[in-house]
Amino acid sequence: MPKITYIVDGQTAVTVDAAVGNSVMQVAVRNDVGSIVGECGGNAMCATCHVYVEEGPVDSLPAVSAAESEMLDCTLSPRESNSRLSCQLPVTDLYDGLVVRVAQEQV
Amino acid sequence: MTVSTSPVDIPRSSLDVFTDAALLDPWAGYRELRDQGPVVFLDRYGMHAATRYSAVSHILRTPDVFISGEGVMMNDESNQMIRGNTLCSDGEEHATSRGVVVKPLTPKALRPLQEEIRTQARDLVDRLTARGQFDAVTDLAQYLPVTIVSNLVGLPEEGRERMLLWASESFNSCGPLNERALNSFPVLGEMVEYATTQAVPGKLKPGSWAEAVFLAADRGEVAKERCPMMMMDYMGPSLDTTIFAISSAVWLFARHPDQWDLIRQNPSLIPGAINEVLRMESPLQCFSRKVAVDTEVDGVALEAGSRVITYYGAANRDERQYPEPDRFDITRNPTDHLGFGAGPHACVGMNLARLEMRSLFEELAAKVERFEVLSETRALNNVLRGFASLDVAVHV
Ligand code: FES
Repeated sequence: MPKITYIVDGQTAVTVDAAVGNSVMQVAVRNDVGSIVGECGGNAMCATCHVYVEEGPVDSLPAVSAAESEMLDCTLSPRESNSRLSCQLPVTDLYDGLVVRVAQEQV
Repeated sequence: MTVSTSPVDIPRSSLDVFTDAALLDPWAGYRELRDQGPVVFLDRYGMHAATRYSAVSHILRTPDVFISGEGVMMNDESNQMIRGNTLCSDGEEHATSRGVVVKPLTPKALRPLQEEIRTQARDLVDRLTARGQFDAVTDLAQYLPVTIVSNLVGLPEEGRERMLLWASESFNSCGPLNERALNSFPVLGEMVEYATTQAVPGKLKPGSWAEAVFLAADRGEVAKERCPMMMMDYMGPSLDTTIFAISSAVWLFARHPDQWDLIRQNPSLIPGAINEVLRMESPLQCFSRKVAVDTEVDGVALEAGSRVITYYGAANRDERQYPEPDRFDITRNPTDHLGFGAGPHACVGMNLARLEMRSLFEELAAKVERFEVLSETRALNNVLRGFASLDVAVHV
């Protein structure tokens, strides 16, 4: 199973096994990785699953869709060039080694 | 209606899911269908019904196979009548018009409205608790959608008093071709007429959401001829669904005082409680999709050209997804419920609906100790679930 690392509170690294097919948001919620909320259930409507993609196989992530981009403009922590909505990142085997920093402010 | 022959390996059911009794109390029927299979062919309607969570979620999240462009209603007449709105479109066409419709409904766009909605909610709850008794539908649930939201949408005054009727009848028209649907067609026609002749530039409130759709068309962001149908995107869904959700929430809290106590002790549970209300009593119980190519859902084959009803209400009570699904438990916080649908067509107004509900229940939690139901009348609608009236006494 691919492993994904979440950096929470700006410092603590939490590495979990990510089930293929789940989104990076769902993996975080199921593993109780702090502060990702996912209020809209993964439909790119709430912007409470905001992460910054830091390192790993960043090229294997899907491009940002128009809907995701619209919602990334709504995040509470500022949008950066590496901002993503983690619900829009469905895990594949290629995600192994992905490191994301969880935005501190979500709601 | 196209009646397709069902492949042999699809379980069939003779259950009539649209009788008055089934609509008022659908749970046993949903369970029977779920236990028969992920998707079941309804002999009576010539359509499939998806009732298990995994099946409904898969269908909603696979929009290339399960298309909306041939309509999401369960009869050809209404699918024809409202052709071209955002709900009933696919792919690029859908993405561009949704992009316009969602603009005022994003979390960021709604932030400046929070204060106003909260203030209105506070004043309303003050007035109603002072009275001690009220109708949770007409006095409580309808207030914010009718006063604030319909103003924001900004349609011309004439006809606005018809808005609630249009909303409920446009949902009735979504069902199969039964009496409820047939009776709704004249009203649906009236609504389409209003959208095309009245909801037009010059008559719309300046600065309103409706006007913004036409301005987007002027900028070339969406085709001009789509605008009237896009008015329909705002007209029906912004009212009844939220209204039904609010009244169902009051009803659930009245029946489960222990859950209301939890909220009073810890109001930060309210957003999760709203999700649980929407899971238990999904205001919109179902829509449908056309199957574009031969496909399979959890091992059951579906033929191209057939239609499948996606039962949000049944999926949300699926024991395969939620342990003890019939238990109202506000600490469960089921963010993955399908009450708002899922996938590209997920409810575009969900942030606004949540904001309205949160504001009302935060105010109620601060003041009301107990809700007591004095009398209740459920609304009978092909696809909506909620109350026509719900008289309550509040103990403060
Ligand atoms: S979970 Fe709502 S935008 Fe990602």
